[in-house]
Amino acid sequence: MRRRQSDPNTLYCFVVNCNQERPVSRTSNRADGDIVRDFLSVADLLEEPQLAQLYAYLAREGEVTVQDVMDDLELAQGTAYSYVNRLVDAGVVDVTDEEQPRRYAAREIDLTVTTAAGDREYTITPALIDAVGRRETDADIDTYIDRHGVAGLATALTYAVARERGEVTHRLMAEDLDISPLAAEMILQALRPVVHEHYDIEEAGAGLDELDIDDGDAADDA
Amino acid sequence: MSRLHIADTGLFVAMGQPSNSRYQAVRRFARRNEIIFVLPERVYEELTIDDPDVEKVPIDTAIGEGWATVAAPLEFSEPIVSRTMDGVQRYIANADDRPADEVERADPSLAALAAQELSAGTATEVYIYTTDIAAGEGAETVLASEGYGDSVTYVNGFRFIKDLVSS
Repeated sequence: MRRRQSDPNTLYCFVVNCNQERPVSRTSNRADGDIVRDFLSVADLLEEPQLAQLYAYLAREGEVTVQDVMDDLELAQGTAYSYVNRLVDAGVVDVTDEEQPRRYAAREIDLTVTTAAGDREYTITPALIDAVGRRETDADIDTYIDRHGVAGLATALTYAVARERGEVTHRLMAEDLDISPLAAEMILQALRPVVHEHYDIEEAGAGLDELDIDDGDAADDA
Repeated sequence: MSRLHIADTGLFVAMGQPSNSRYQAVRRFARRNEIIFVLPERVYEELTIDDPDVEKVPIDTAIGEGWATVAAPLEFSEPIVSRTMDGVQRYIANADDRPADEVERADPSLAALAAQELSAGTATEVYIYTTDIAAGEGAETVLASEGYGDSVTYVNGFRFIKDLVSS
């Protein structure tokens, strides 16, 4: 099964599906299906890795305070407040508890995006936003987005999930996408932590313990 | 009893550069157990490709340090070698619902090298280190059907390195 590849130069323009769930919130009177705004706010997330990183953190942690954000992401107070407020204003993060200190939680994002040509689509998921957020700290992800766009990264992420499930190899990905097997292996390895963070996939194959090798000197060398 | 350790592209990519603790942990493991990782030719070609988008993999450093080497060309005239190639190709194609002839021949070359050495008796036990589950499981399955089920172990390259670094 070939996975779709999106042209990095094509602007996506249609939101096909908007499926969001949100916890109790002061913004809960916001009209459902405010599709254009949802889309624009998610597009912002993908443009700014720092915001994507923060969104991924909130999605992972559940409810947090700004102090948690400052501690865990090592952000200055002003920066942390500014980022959190931008996400709240964008409608992708909710205030879940107005009592001080306020608590915040990520809203679930699941947007399917169709390219201008109309023949390709990909889904913006928390895993994709997490992956984009990592471009700040991961040179392989950063280079890949530069070359293939966020749409290309979305395609690579579908291969990364399929590979961890044992359905596809880095060589098949390379062939489908017309990139070198080495470039495919690099991005698959860079995306692997994202896959295991967001998908429940068991690791296959043997580890060191199952090798019938008496690696007894390990402690001495370490 | 002689053991053969066959390594795929992903193992060397996952180690990083020689300054990386992962690279050093694998090198220590190889040295203290007198292991030389053997790479099928196709794997070596992949690792040494000139791609400006990716960092160079220090495979030639590992070869120079004596704990990695490139295998001689596969002997396709041996029926077990071509049978294993075809078998793994079909296994991977099935996993992804695509025609077997679309499967790149570097994937089955890991298993084919194992089959060649096991049938020649130059190895009695083979470990295949890969980060592609489909290639590893395909090798185990096909070699089991050739009667080498107890002689082949698919080692998950990521687990192997993680275990070494944390031990």
